[in-house]
Amino acid sequence: MKLALRGLRLPLPRFTLEVDVELRGRVAGLFGASGAGKTSLLELIVGLRRPTEGSMYLGGRMLADVAARRFVRPERRRIGYVPQDGALFPHLSVRRNLLYGASNGDGAKRLAEIAAVLEITPLLDRDVDGLSGGERQRVALGRALLASPELLLLDEPFAGVDRPLRGRILPVLARIRDELRVPMLYVSHEPEEILALCDEALRLDQGRIIAHGTPAEVLAAPISL
Amino acid sequence: MSGEETRILGFTLGMAALAMVAIVPPGLALAWLLARRAFPGKAVIETLVALPLVMPPVATGLFLLRLFGRRSALGRFVHDRLDLDVIFTWRGVLLAMAVMSLPLFVRSARVAFEEVPHRLEQVARTLGAAPARVFATITLPLAARGLTAGLLLAFARALGEFGATIVVAGNIPGRTQTSALAIYQLIQLGRDDAALRLCLAAAVLAFVALFTSERLLARSRA
Amino acid sequence: MKRIFLSFALGAGFAVLAFPSAAVEINVSAAASLTDALQEIAHAYEATSPDRIVLNLGASSLLARQIEEGAPADLFLSADEAKMDSLAKNKLLLAGTRKSVLGNTLVVVVPLDSKLKIAAPADLASSSIRALALAEPQTVPAGIYAKEYLQKVGLWRKVIDRVVPTENVRAALAAVESGNADAGIVYKTDAEISKKVRVAYAVSEAEGPTITYPFAALAGSRHVEEARRFLAYLCSPPALDVFRRYGFLVITGPAATP
Repeated sequence: MKLALRGLRLPLPRFTLEVDVELRGRVAGLFGASGAGKTSLLELIVGLRRPTEGSMYLGGRMLADVAARRFVRPERRRIGYVPQDGALFPHLSVRRNLLYGASNGDGAKRLAEIAAVLEITPLLDRDVDGLSGGERQRVALGRALLASPELLLLDEPFAGVDRPLRGRILPVLARIRDELRVPMLYVSHEPEEILALCDEALRLDQGRIIAHGTPAEVLAAPISL
Repeated sequence: MSGEETRILGFTLGMAALAMVAIVPPGLALAWLLARRAFPGKAVIETLVALPLVMPPVATGLFLLRLFGRRSALGRFVHDRLDLDVIFTWRGVLLAMAVMSLPLFVRSARVAFEEVPHRLEQVARTLGAAPARVFATITLPLAARGLTAGLLLAFARALGEFGATIVVAGNIPGRTQTSALAIYQLIQLGRDDAALRLCLAAAVLAFVALFTSERLLARSRA
Repeated sequence: MKRIFLSFALGAGFAVLAFPSAAVEINVSAAASLTDALQEIAHAYEATSPDRIVLNLGASSLLARQIEEGAPADLFLSADEAKMDSLAKNKLLLAGTRKSVLGNTLVVVVPLDSKLKIAAPADLASSSIRALALAEPQTVPAGIYAKEYLQKVGLWRKVIDRVVPTENVRAALAAVESGNADAGIVYKTDAEISKKVRVAYAVSEAEGPTITYPFAALAGSRHVEEARRFLAYLCSPPALDVFRRYGFLVITGPAATP
């Protein structure tokens, strides 16, 4: 990915989010304590919130530029978003959820492909109701992928998923990274996940980036209070 | 139930149904705005919308009478240019029913929209859906039960509407007399038996509407 | 501060309730058409008597119904004999107090700025009259009288689909004043107090119904003495002068008593 976040500012209730960074990895990890502003940053990137200052560019394509009064709406950014609980549409079947963001052309074919990668093929005609936590996450992932995003944001996808299941999902994400070649920004406060998937990491604290480098570097850096 | 009484009930049901058609578009728009948007003067709008709920219905009727009567700019326009009469006609009945039941619908619809997890609408946007598509495919279907319950509540209110109706449309048998107005006239005529028959019918209709509304709400919350 | 205010308010409240009222309140249920004249007469009476007059004005039909249901009233001033008759039948009148001293006539009125030409009964059937305001013709005296008149001149069936029945005769007047009704049939006395309507024509004696106003004290009255006194005042020359001034006819000679 090439995600440039320049001079971004977003006032939040308890502090101001101020970010100035350029991400270049295949999978970037965003690490930080809860309340540090991680979700707000994701919402900024995906376009659900507007910054009060600064600019955002993805691979040279402008997403927002406050000085130039330009703002691209979320539906046009081609940035996928998998929130913490998956946020599946309860009134649609798994298949209809998956296809929601797919443009008509080759929807069916890509559906089969991605369902295979995520191991959710048997779930396709089920209702969202009876799915387990892990299944919901994978369907949410598939849904985001089928919209052909240029960047995929994942917000603590493993929160509330038990360890054995995590072990099964990490390889799936690795396949997304390697086979489907979709860049990801991965938020978590579990160091193991960052270390396992990411080639670049950021640490956020009280709305500011206090470390940026390889996962090992960022995780090892002492936390200054 | 005499033929006349059946006709009056039919007229009332028809007018109330028409009033529902009239209030759905503005009601949905208002409810959605109040549920999802912040804007200057929002509190004022909220209060204005709720006003007919707490003001004496005849007072609301008087406002409508002055607004649409022949002496107002709006009334003159409607009468002279469009050649339509509102006061003392079925249009007045429709107007009174719509204005008095709109607040109830907006209140319920707003809650129905607020209960749709905003997160789902946001995710739909990230999947490439423009706001209109999000509304049609996510918000509306998920709010449907609550919206229908609200509409049934408004319908029941419109069926029983009296104060504003009698001021704006008058109690004209055969032209504007709804069941509520008919009951009033029958009481004045001392024909309590006929009045009670209509009362019973009105009560049954209202009960059915409300019961269905409550059941829908219970199921949408389950 | 709040506590002081509260105890003051409570104290004042109790004081008001405990204070014995020496004056008697006479409840008078009267036809709407008598409103203005009665207000003036009541005011004059209160200047000479310790009693207070409380006026309950409305359609005689509604008032009669209220009295039948036990509403506390001392006097009933009705706009037609039929309503008084029905109370008499139910033994609600105080014997020997009924008398009819007033009469009235009907007029056809139009809004002051109306351009319609209505000079004769037949004009009422014209298509430019889309709303003809009358008091409710099944129950309210003014409406019954108007219907009687229209039937007499053979127009009832022709105008019935544009009749707008109102609560009482003053409401019919208001409908014409507002312009929402193109014309209306009200008492001559109503047209005289209104500045927003003009009389298109007066209903002639030959074609019009006989309109009389019976007055009576009620059997259920709790202040019979005071009620009789006010009733007597109502039929006395000073009061009758006021009624005349407002356009009512005064019936002299044997008053109608059943």
